[in-house]
Amino acid sequence: MSSPARIVVGYIANDSGADALALATRIARASEAVLEVVIVLPSEARTSIVPKDAGYERFLRERSRTWLAEASAALGDDVAQSLHIRYAESFAEGLIAAAHEFDAALIVVGAARGGLLGRSRIGSVANELLHSSDVPVALAPSGSREVSPGQGVTRITAAVGTRPGADGLIEASVRLARLTHAPLRLLSLVSIDLPAGMDEELAELTSTVHADEVLLAARRSLPASVEATAVTAKGATIEAAVQSLDWHAGELVLVGSNRLATPSHLFLGSTAAKMLRELPVPMIVVPRTATPGATT
Amino acid sequence: MTHPAEPTAPLTEASRAIDGADHGISKKGLSAGSVGLIGAIVIGISCIAPAYTLTAALGPTVSEVGVQVPAIILVGFIPMLLVAFGYRELNRRMPDSGTSFTWATRAFGPWVGWLAGWGLIAATILVLSNLAGIAVDFLFLLISQIAGNPDIAGIAANPLVNVVVCLLFMLGATWISYRDMQTTQKLQYWLVGFQVLVLLIFSVAALVEVANGNAFDATAIDLSWFNPFAVESFSSFAAGLSLSIFIFWGWDVTLTMNEETRGSEKTPGRAATITVVIIVVLYLLIAVSLIAFAGVGDGEFGLGNPDIQDNVFFHLAGPILGPLAVLVSLAVLTSSASSLQSTFVSPARTLLAMGHYGALPEKFAKVSPRFFTPGYATIVSATVASGFYAVMRFVSENVLWDTITALGMMICFYYGITAFACVWFFRSVWFRSVRNFVFTLLFPLVGGVILAVLFFTTLIDSMDPDYGSGSSVFGLGLVFVLGMVVLLSGAVIMLWQWRKRPAFFRGETLSRAVAED
Repeated sequence: MSSPARIVVGYIANDSGADALALATRIARASEAVLEVVIVLPSEARTSIVPKDAGYERFLRERSRTWLAEASAALGDDVAQSLHIRYAESFAEGLIAAAHEFDAALIVVGAARGGLLGRSRIGSVANELLHSSDVPVALAPSGSREVSPGQGVTRITAAVGTRPGADGLIEASVRLARLTHAPLRLLSLVSIDLPAGMDEELAELTSTVHADEVLLAARRSLPASVEATAVTAKGATIEAAVQSLDWHAGELVLVGSNRLATPSHLFLGSTAAKMLRELPVPMIVVPRTATPGATT
Repeated sequence: MTHPAEPTAPLTEASRAIDGADHGISKKGLSAGSVGLIGAIVIGISCIAPAYTLTAALGPTVSEVGVQVPAIILVGFIPMLLVAFGYRELNRRMPDSGTSFTWATRAFGPWVGWLAGWGLIAATILVLSNLAGIAVDFLFLLISQIAGNPDIAGIAANPLVNVVVCLLFMLGATWISYRDMQTTQKLQYWLVGFQVLVLLIFSVAALVEVANGNAFDATAIDLSWFNPFAVESFSSFAAGLSLSIFIFWGWDVTLTMNEETRGSEKTPGRAATITVVIIVVLYLLIAVSLIAFAGVGDGEFGLGNPDIQDNVFFHLAGPILGPLAVLVSLAVLTSSASSLQSTFVSPARTLLAMGHYGALPEKFAKVSPRFFTPGYATIVSATVASGFYAVMRFVSENVLWDTITALGMMICFYYGITAFACVWFFRSVWFRSVRNFVFTLLFPLVGGVILAVLFFTTLIDSMDPDYGSGSSVFGLGLVFVLGMVVLLSGAVIMLWQWRKRPAFFRGETLSRAVAED
């Protein structure tokens, strides 16, 4: 732990950006990390049928400075931060480049474009990021800006999948739990939606046993010094299983990216997408293989 | 104006140009210079939108100058070129999204500056409504050509249907502009290439028909068509000229857009030259071939027929190309559609600058934090353009024609002010070098004087109720009424803003300045 961990915040001067900033601040305070607040402006390389206008570019740059200054003023002094304006062809590309530039361990963005009933729906921006980032991405659900930063991080839950790919996830969860001094909880989700006619009890038994095995394997892969609780959530659907659990207000959930994703790139699987819709807490999506760079 | 709060935390800014080179097109294996050049030409042609411009402006121009259209096209380019040089000098010295508004305020103070901004906004809003109107006509024509049912094209004449479809078009264009949605560069190249190709096919086909003796009113091509002095009266000459200024409008962006970007220093100049050569050749070809085919008489397809003048391609594509006429519809549609977005940008950015400097409510300076577009100003421009079109469609039978003529007048107005602003702003450096003398004094001054003469001649002539399409209100030509309503309402709003926002009018937010060194 030579230097503090760095968190890149993809800032947009609206509610979704405020959500991202609030979540990032909460994590940064809990883990003594440094915030790198980034506004990504469209780069010149972006093809456009709208003629370039140096005057407008300058105006945008100044507007962005003001936005950053306002965001920074609202943050106050208790979090180490620096502000950045970067240019890229897309928001996602700019954030990934920034994460590499600062050797960041995490990118935080607002997930929502007005999710229904306070739950997250993935906006196109977050979606693009999830498809291409090789750095863990935290999705701040809408309303994160109303959670007090003093809430801290009270628990880290790692949603362990049932198939390979969990190594990076466990590693990232352990690291985050250490940094934030929060307890770790391993979670296995079991949904029992089998074709009608199958023996339900048998099915439940099988999947529970399977879940327990997965948890056991995950536990074994934990470093000896790490304490973790384990829980299996059951329900007719993933959604129901998520709802059956208790969640802390200051909790963070980590999920691994989809098996279909290219190694070390994110891709949100269907289970994770379903979880995201139901989770009342922020979710962090971890690439299938942990980034070697993030060893702070 | 309000000084942005200084950030308390350290702030870093990547340079746009560096990022562009790192992540940009150069990475894709194309040399930066050549992409800059071709890209600039494509944007230039796409902004001018020759297919749209010609179908809208050819008829009104013929009605003014008859067969001398080619001459007028050649001469019309001169004031445009002269003013564009001044525009470039100003843009180099004071790049600002408010362009004419900011520059005129700097040179002549807030009142003139406000009116220049108003002229720019009015002109672009007029052209937006005209663009959408032309697009509606061609949409119905396209459907009728595909369905093989000529009656469908007639539906566009129903004012109610027309207005509703037009508003839908505007809604779509606003959405695209607000979100700053982009087409891929490849698609853009294809669209522009297609547009140019179709125009070539169209004019060659017209000439072939003439040679085969199938022309509607074969008119022998004559050198006098290129002689501007053959135009009957100065009034016609002036009216024709202000129309031909409209057909080159948008070209100036190629001169300024690449100034500080990658590629060689010569790129902008070269791109502008190639663009204008392509455009002039196209315009001359089309003008000559259509006049040779249809004549300037007022027969069914004659270019002098008031019923077809506001949208000549719409009426002539069928007789000339037969089944291939569908290509012309497609070209005009895509041309208007792609130029809608670039046209939207300029009133929105000017409104934004006016809001920023306190010449209009601050709301206008709002930038969408997600799309980085002047969101509020874009929506206001769209709303006004739509309302304007709807009203005009019911007031005038020849709405497209009259808006084009009024538009020519507005362009002369604000371009003229911009040219004089350039001359005045650089007054202390006129004689520092030959270059300064030519580009900051001689060219813009001559260009400005020409535009001023055109503006006043058109204004006075258009009082005649028979002017232009012959629509009139209260015994005055509709074009005159339109021009006056636009300018006077600008003056009224200006006075209102002066009461509400005196700081700008006292020169506190944007002060006068003179170029030094």
